[in-house]
Amino acid sequence: MHSTAFQTLADPTRFRIVEVLLGGEHAVNDIVRKVDIDQSGVSRHLRILQEAGFARVRPDGPKRLYSLRPEPFRELGAWAMRYRNLWEGRLDKFGEELGRRQKARVAMRKERIS
Amino acid sequence: MTQKGPDALTGKIRIERTYNASIEDVWELWTTKEGIESWWGPGGFVVKVRKLDLRPGGEMLYAMIAVEPAQVQFMKNAGMPLTTETQLTYTEVVAKKLIAYTHLADFIPGVEPYNVATSVEFHAGKQSVQIVLTLDAMHDEEWTRRAVMGMESQLGKLTKILAGPDRE
Repeated sequence: MHSTAFQTLADPTRFRIVEVLLGGEHAVNDIVRKVDIDQSGVSRHLRILQEAGFARVRPDGPKRLYSLRPEPFRELGAWAMRYRNLWEGRLDKFGEELGRRQKARVAMRKERIS
Repeated sequence: MTQKGPDALTGKIRIERTYNASIEDVWELWTTKEGIESWWGPGGFVVKVRKLDLRPGGEMLYAMIAVEPAQVQFMKNAGMPLTTETQLTYTEVVAKKLIAYTHLADFIPGVEPYNVATSVEFHAGKQSVQIVLTLDAMHDEEWTRRAVMGMESQLGKLTKILAGPDRE
């Protein structure tokens, strides 16, 4: 787990850049146009994304093309999956307990009648 | 069960469940010591509620105790105590409609406690109750800063618990 993963994505601008990159590889100028932030801002955020392991860059002639790396997203996905599993299991038990209570109540009622 | 957006990108988890039960029964299971103890613990663990102060700012303190042999052995092998004391702080309570709390994870020495915000909505129908549960790990910047510090330890613990013999 990248300990800075949530922090990296918590910034709304970076989150928008990530959303753009989800559509595929982009040059800086294309990103600037899509997120409507000046180039120096985009470059700064791209550097942070790169340092946190979310993005990578490769040269293409005079251009530098940015894309996402899958690893940190897999780790965040694993985090979410574990919490989800915990809660799915808990809510299963919750449902079983509700059922048990209803049955016990019905049984008690029957006993009272008989 | 539905889900809005990929968990991994939003840091949010949303789970919906509908139970054929009365809102009174559902509410009781969420808000009484006996009710909570009957279902809160993961498989192989029991929960003992030590304090229950159901109001905004109030706390629930509880212990999660490994009881089944497989879990006991697992926790021992992992060098973890069999009993984990945990606390959550209620942030919003609306009778039979909403419970929101922050969950404090502070079980690793030397790691600053961090919070995940959880909200539980109850929608009562004629003969059923829908529960909408939302976990938010990216609440705001401050939240995130705190979360970041404890995330790894929490992950480690969850991983260990969930990788236990009968959980995988």
